[in-house]
This record gives sequence, structure tokens and C-alpha cells, in this order.
Amino acid sequence: MEALYIWPEMPGVSIVVAIVVSMLFLALARTPIHKAFESLSDGTSGGLKKVGEWAKQLADKMRARDRKVLLESGIADAEQKLHEEFIRVESSYGKHLADFPALQRRLDDSISKIEGDFKECGQATPKAPGWNDAVASIAKLQGSSGDRVIEKMLSEIHKSAVEGEKHALAELRNTTSKRHKILSGMAPVWKNVHKLLKDMGDKVSLVLETSKRIDKYMQQFEKVRKGDEDSIDMLSSRANKLFIFSVIIIVIAVFGAFVNFNLIALPMSELVPAGSRVLGMPVSEFSAMVIICLEVMCGIFLMEALGFTNIIPQIALMTRGHRRIIMYASLIFLFLFALAEASLGILREVLAEARSSVNQALAGANATSAEGGGSQFTVIGQATLGFLLPWVLAMVAMPLELLIETSQHIFYKLLIMLVTFFGYLCKILGHLIEYLIKIVIHLYDAYIIIPVQINNMIRGGGKARAS
Amino acid sequence: MKRTLYIACIALILAGCSDNKRYETAICALADISGTYADQKQDVARIIKAGLIPNLEPGDSLFFITIDSNSYEEENLKFKLNLDYIPSKANDQKLAFATNLDEFAKDQTRSRYTDISGAMMLCADYLRNTGSGNQAMVIFSDMKEELQPGLKRKFRETEFSAMHIAALNVIKLGQDSTNPEIYRKRLSEWEKRIKGSGAESWDTILDASKIPEYVEQLK
Repeated sequence: MEALYIWPEMPGVSIVVAIVVSMLFLALARTPIHKAFESLSDGTSGGLKKVGEWAKQLADKMRARDRKVLLESGIADAEQKLHEEFIRVESSYGKHLADFPALQRRLDDSISKIEGDFKECGQATPKAPGWNDAVASIAKLQGSSGDRVIEKMLSEIHKSAVEGEKHALAELRNTTSKRHKILSGMAPVWKNVHKLLKDMGDKVSLVLETSKRIDKYMQQFEKVRKGDEDSIDMLSSRANKLFIFSVIIIVIAVFGAFVNFNLIALPMSELVPAGSRVLGMPVSEFSAMVIICLEVMCGIFLMEALGFTNIIPQIALMTRGHRRIIMYASLIFLFLFALAEASLGILREVLAEARSSVNQALAGANATSAEGGGSQFTVIGQATLGFLLPWVLAMVAMPLELLIETSQHIFYKLLIMLVTFFGYLCKILGHLIEYLIKIVIHLYDAYIIIPVQINNMIRGGGKARAS
Repeated sequence: MKRTLYIACIALILAGCSDNKRYETAICALADISGTYADQKQDVARIIKAGLIPNLEPGDSLFFITIDSNSYEEENLKFKLNLDYIPSKANDQKLAFATNLDEFAKDQTRSRYTDISGAMMLCADYLRNTGSGNQAMVIFSDMKEELQPGLKRKFRETEFSAMHIAALNVIKLGQDSTNPEIYRKRLSEWEKRIKGSGAESWDTILDASKIPEYVEQLK
């Protein structure tokens, strides 16, 4: 520090002289230094603001692109749903409407039968009118005329009338019973008609339900086609939901794969001796991992062939026969993998038991004491697990497709957030630097205030004298 | 472009393939058969069988060297074990090694002098030769060296580089129990010598049940 003093023996004077000289210099150089600061401000804060603007524009472009991709995928999805629904309608209509003429015919037959029965019911023998009154009048006449012949005749008439009435009553009863018989015979036909009508109602409601679904999809389709904010929000929210769902499923599948890996890694060392390593892991463990990956791959091909997923377009474009070949091939491979894993599960238990026996023998204990009755259950459990896990892992194809589809939107969203944040950061930094430079300029002016004021006073005095 | 990509992929896979050696463990067990420690043979065999062998994995190696009057001789390497990569074969090898140890325990031979340094040097030669990633030496002795006249034992600076060394089942001699400082000083001198020769670590394991833990740490 002392080396900087003009007169090291007088530090106070040296400092005062240095301050005065620097003040004078800075006052004289005020204009160019101000310009230098302004240039610095323009260069840094202006540059940062421009970078901020560029980031904002980039984020907007990415947002528009994401929006476009979302809309396109939404339209494609709605089209796919409509297409599937129309296929369902076609098969449903084909199946149900094919049944319709038969149903109609059965209904017509039933109605004709009811009509015939009804007509038959109407054919009843009418009762002789006034017979009861006539018989009653003749009965009153008996014994009043006094003529025996007439009385006998009247008595005969009365008798025959009563008999006729009895006969007519018997006839009526007979006819009524016949009618009841016919009517009771009509009951199953009515029931059949009722059932047929119910069937028809069910089929019609099915068709109506499908129509309603189509209406709903059409509305969604129209909404998505319009591309308004609501539909974008809807599509975005759906993509987020599906992404989270698929991530959860994939994480569960990864845990499943981990269990599977641990199940087959040890027995694989018996089959593939781990003399070397691939990517830092023993060959046996690497082979176990490859087997798990192959199972997942078979699962992907199986799901593709079944039409549950659409990851590989070539398979979707294949004919039904070719797809069936792929499906059977995947199924066979999966079955073989499942069998192999079941046997590896058994082998694992055998190895674990052998190791335990060896350790016990080394420790000096009786090796046979380790053989317990529960080991059979362990073997069965491990074999079952080994057989089931490949099938479960094969299912991962569906959430994997969802993850691939939705991750694009999520990736874009994250990138947009990052770029927007970067843009804001640049703008804030730009403003901060601008104000900092302004503060420095003000402090600079404050430092040289004395020579500046003296200069102003001198100039002011000179102007006053001149005026 | 595609061709370059394919070549890069193949190169990456080949680069990813590596030798197993650096993941393997080689352990050398030194057993003192001189003086009073010769009575510990059965204990030594038991500790190695129960503590060391079960923790060895396929690919690992185990050497058994005896400490006698002149230990830096090939004859002192009594048995060696290179575990097969197939677990079932490795199990058979372990049992065969255990049988050899049982025979050693029955043997009544004892030496007059105690050449611990010579045995350690012989052991270091074998360990280095394995090229294993983890190398360890376990010494079953009272750690009191008595060299035969005329023997010269001086460790090089890098004699035990990258090796972990531990003294196991160190029994106390008569004078040790009279003055524990003698025992402690003896062990600290060994520590100084061994660490000065580039050893990674030096431990004294008094409890035999801690051996599996020690082997796990090595890996």
C-alpha cells in the first residue's frame, strides 16, 4: 500500500492529493466515461434482453408445435375411436339385424295364433231367449184350467222346457269350459310375445347405446377439430394423466423385472459361467437381463399382433394371417420362456440348498439337518413365480406405448418451462445490470460533484458577467 | 453415417466387455506352525472353514501357506483353491479344500523358528500373480517373529501395495499377559512395517465371527 503513496512519509497528504487528482481526472473524462458505461449497459443488458426475447419466441414456437402435435394426436385418437365404434356398430348391426326377420316372423306367428284362438273363442252357441219366462208362465197355469188333458199337455211342455233349459245350460257350461281351455292355451303364446318384444327392446336399446357413444365421440371429434383452448386443455390433461398412469405401471413392472432378475440370476451362473463381464456385470447376470428383455419384446409383439397396441406400424399393416403367425410365434416363445424360468426357479432352490448344506458342512454342523419339509413349498412357489412373471412382464407393452405417446408432450412441456424460465432469467439479469450501471454512473457523478459544481459556478459567473 | 454408427455401437459393446479379474477376491491365509502357536492348528482350520471359505464366490482364490523356520519356499504353499465359475463345482472344491484343512489340523509338525515375513512375501507373490481386484492376507500367528540365523527379510516399498492385511486369532504369549504393552508394541511395529510397504489396510481381528464381515468389506 505504501508503495502507492506519492510521499510515503506523509500518507495523509498522499491520499488527499490522489483523491483530488482522481476527481479532477474523472471530472474532465466525465463525458467519455458516461458513454462507455452506456455502451456497456446497452451491450450487456440489451443483449440479455434480446436473448430473453428469443427464448420467449422459441417457447411460443414450441408451445404452438406441442399444441399442433396434441391436436393431431387428439384427432387421430378420436378418429381411431370412431373407426372402432363403427366396426363395432357394423358387427353389432350385422348380428342383431340378422336376427330381426326371424324375431319378426316368430312374433307374426304368435299374433296369428292369438288371433285364431280369439276367433275360436267367439264361436259359442247362443242361449234360447225367453225360455225361462215361458216355462214359468206354463208352470203357473198348472191346476188352474181344470182340464186334465190340457194340464197333462202343459205339464209335458213344462217338463220338456225344463229339460231343454237343463240341456242348454249343460251346453253353455261345456262351451265355456272349451273357451277357458282355449284362453289358457293362449297364455304361453302371450308370454312368448312378451319375451320377443323384450328381446327386440334390448336389441334396439343396444343399438341406441352405440349411437349415443358415436354421438359422444363425434362431439369430441368436432371439439378437437375446432382446436379451441378447452380442447387443448382437455388433451393436455388427458396426456398428463396417462403419462402418470403409465409411469406408475412401468415402475411396478420394473420392480417385477427386478424380482424376476433375482430369481434367475443365480441359476443362470450354473448355465452361463461368469468368466467375463459385460457392461460391468457378470455374463450370467447379463444373460438373465437379456432373457427378461426378450420376454418384454415377445410381449410387445404379442400385443401388436392382437391389435392392443400400435407401436410397430409394419405389424399393423400386415394381413390377418400374418398377424396370426406373429401372435402364435410370440405366444410359443413366451410359453417357452415361462417354462425355462420355472425350471430356473427350481434350479435356484436346488443351488441355494446345496450352498446352505456346504456352508453347514464347513461350519461342522450336520448337513442333513438343513433338509426341512418346507423346501417343497419353496420350490413350487419359485417355479410358479418363474412361470407367471414372463406373462406379467409381457403386459408391459400397453403402458409402454402410452408412455412413449405421452412422454413427447411432457418432454415438450418441460422444455418449454425451461426455455421460458431461461428467458425470464435473462430479462431479469438484463434489468439488474442496467440499473447497476445506472447506480455506478450516479455514484461516479457523486464522487466528482465538487469539481463539477466549481466548474458550474465558474461557468455561471462567466455567463452572468457576459450578460 | 449408418456404418459409422454401427461401428461405434460394436466398439461400445466390445469396450463394455471386460475381464472378471478385477471383481474377484484372492485371499491368502498364513498359519503359524512354530512354537506355541502350533497347538492352534485345529482352531485355524475351523476359522478358515467357517469364516473364510463360505464367503468366497465363484472365481475367487484362496491360498494356504504355513509359517515355519524358512517360509519363503514353494513347499510352504500347502493348498490353493481357484473356485470354478459354476457354483455347483465351486461347492465341491470348497468341500475338498475343507478336507485338506482337516488333514492339516491333524498334522503334528512344528517348526523351531518363526519366519512370518518370508511367508508374507511368498503370499504377496501369489496374490499379485492372481491379478484379482481384491487381495487380502490373513495371518494366524502370535506375530512374534524369530528368524533363523542367516535369513534376510526386508520388505520392498511396494511389497504389499493394494493388499489388505489382517492378523487373526493373535494369541497372547506369557510375557504379553504380564505386560500388555509388549503385545501392543509388537502389533504396532508390524502395522508400521506393513503400511510402510504399501498395504491398503492393517487390521487385528480378535473375534472370529467378524471374519465374514471383513471379507464382505474387501469386496
